[in-house]
Amino acid sequence: MSLALATLLYEWKRYSAAMAALAFSGLLVLAQVGMFTGIVHGITASIDRSRADLMILAPKNESLVNSGPNGLPERIQPQIYLNPQVVQVESLDGDGARWVNTPAPGKKAVITYVNTFDVDPTPNAVTLPTDYPESIRLALLEPYAVVLDKTAQNRLGTHLGAAASLNGKTVHVRGLLENYPNVDQPTVYMSRDTMRLLGMGPRNGKTGPLMVRLRDPTEAAAVRDQLNATAKGGYKAWTKPELAAANEKALMGEQIIGIFLAFSLFLGLLIGVGITSQTLRGAILASIKEFASLRALGVSMGSLAKIVLELSVWVGVAGLVATALFTFGVYLLASKFGLPMGFPIPWVVTVVILLAVISILSGLFSLGVLKKSQPADLLR
Amino acid sequence: MSSQPALIAKGLVKRFKTGRTHIEVLKAVDFEALHGEVTMVMGPSGSGKSTLVATLSGLLRPDAGEVSAMGEDIWSYKSGKIDRFRLDHCGFIFQGFNLFPALTALQQVEIILKYQGYGRSEARHKAATALTEVGLETRMGSRPSEMSGGEKQRVAIARAIAKDPQLLFADEPTSALDGENGQVVIKLLQRAAKSFGAAVVCVTHDVRLEAYADRIIHIDDGRILDDRRASPGPPLVDHSQPQPAFAGV
Repeated sequence: MSLALATLLYEWKRYSAAMAALAFSGLLVLAQVGMFTGIVHGITASIDRSRADLMILAPKNESLVNSGPNGLPERIQPQIYLNPQVVQVESLDGDGARWVNTPAPGKKAVITYVNTFDVDPTPNAVTLPTDYPESIRLALLEPYAVVLDKTAQNRLGTHLGAAASLNGKTVHVRGLLENYPNVDQPTVYMSRDTMRLLGMGPRNGKTGPLMVRLRDPTEAAAVRDQLNATAKGGYKAWTKPELAAANEKALMGEQIIGIFLAFSLFLGLLIGVGITSQTLRGAILASIKEFASLRALGVSMGSLAKIVLELSVWVGVAGLVATALFTFGVYLLASKFGLPMGFPIPWVVTVVILLAVISILSGLFSLGVLKKSQPADLLR
Repeated sequence: MSSQPALIAKGLVKRFKTGRTHIEVLKAVDFEALHGEVTMVMGPSGSGKSTLVATLSGLLRPDAGEVSAMGEDIWSYKSGKIDRFRLDHCGFIFQGFNLFPALTALQQVEIILKYQGYGRSEARHKAATALTEVGLETRMGSRPSEMSGGEKQRVAIARAIAKDPQLLFADEPTSALDGENGQVVIKLLQRAAKSFGAAVVCVTHDVRLEAYADRIIHIDDGRILDDRRASPGPPLVDHSQPQPAFAGV
């Protein structure tokens, strides 16, 4: 075992401030990434967890997030069936409506705009998310029944069994979902029939994006290519993972979120380097006599610098482990409150690089202390 | 056993700046140490004895004068080459033991040998031999916090002698130890000189150590006052200073 690693393991308390600084720098970035990714997952939950193997979007949509109108002409749907692999095609229709709750006596009514999505409640329908319990599916079969995420109850001033009005027509909350939170506008889910009864859904010959189920899901990429080859600019097919990645990228690319994250990275770097280098300097100063005795015995300054840099790399590795633990803790805490979080690989890699940069910079900054390892000082 | 000079210094001058004045700590000192001998350098605090050892061993560049160690004019070298010289030929023992808290006795010794270029197993073997020589064969896996002061100093000695140095410098090696442990330490230094032919230069206050010296040099105010052999013999360096009468001690 090297001197650097042995020292870190034996005197870990001395280095704990540095490890904590690294961990919090990592957490600062990862928690925000996790939150923003969670927002995307919330928005796209009914797609990510649908039984669809492919999604058909309007040709110019780059993703489902902030990418403009994504309606498709009704004639696209039968076209998709031409491919022999395709088993089922259904549109995912979203709309919006004015929500008015039934206020408790003496309270003001909640009047707000909600997003509405339709789901086909027949068993194994392609638009029926895989994590809908059977009770929710059955509840949706009832006309004028709606379900919503449990975190939306307060915002909408409602609860299970309560009545409310959507576009002036009475609906009943018949189920509560988990893991379908929405940050900007609350979303209300209902059956295709209820949506029609409420006067919403496809109109002007346009449907929402299409969900496609294939005979053999492993053929998704091949079928996507076949469909795109015959699209003639009318639509674009995506595999589900592709679309999920595009959605994440679209949200992270939103200017304000990009600025948030870049600033966090910068802040993490600053705080991390500040604390880590000071801790390293202190720790090296504390063993400066030992270093000086190595110098006396003929170990070169370069070799001592290598020890310090190796030490800083190990501190970085320890900080990374701590980051993972902290982030997992935050993730657990968030799940407890029904907040989804996601950690896309590119961002995890970014944080790994961030911590590596912090620890190596800190090591470089603390090299100056080694100048104090004057062996002649030991002869006093 | 009188043999070749391992260390010859001529006209060593070292000044330190304090505020606006310079203090001359070494005033044209000539010095010589032989292979196979323990040379004690004694003198009061501030006499310049530690500075002398620092300039002799390549740790502190003198303002004037030259040091020829093992036939090499070390102060004509650049610092990297001086480091290499020390790595190859010099051992040091300090008053503080300066051991890494995280390392076991074996690792403390091994690490230096690895820097000297020994392979892993050879370094381990040599380190174990050195620790056995200082009587610590049962404490190889102990960390400094688990050892007594005497044991720690013996680890430091093992670290210094494991690389078979031809020059061994010790600065107050016994001052942090009780009499018994001090004796063990000085006997080890003596053995390094007698068995391996190292030139041992030992700075000390401790008059009890005189019995183990081949040669005793008294230094005060940057000048060598007295240079005598423990056993009768001719003075080795002709000092211009008048010699005080220590002969009867």
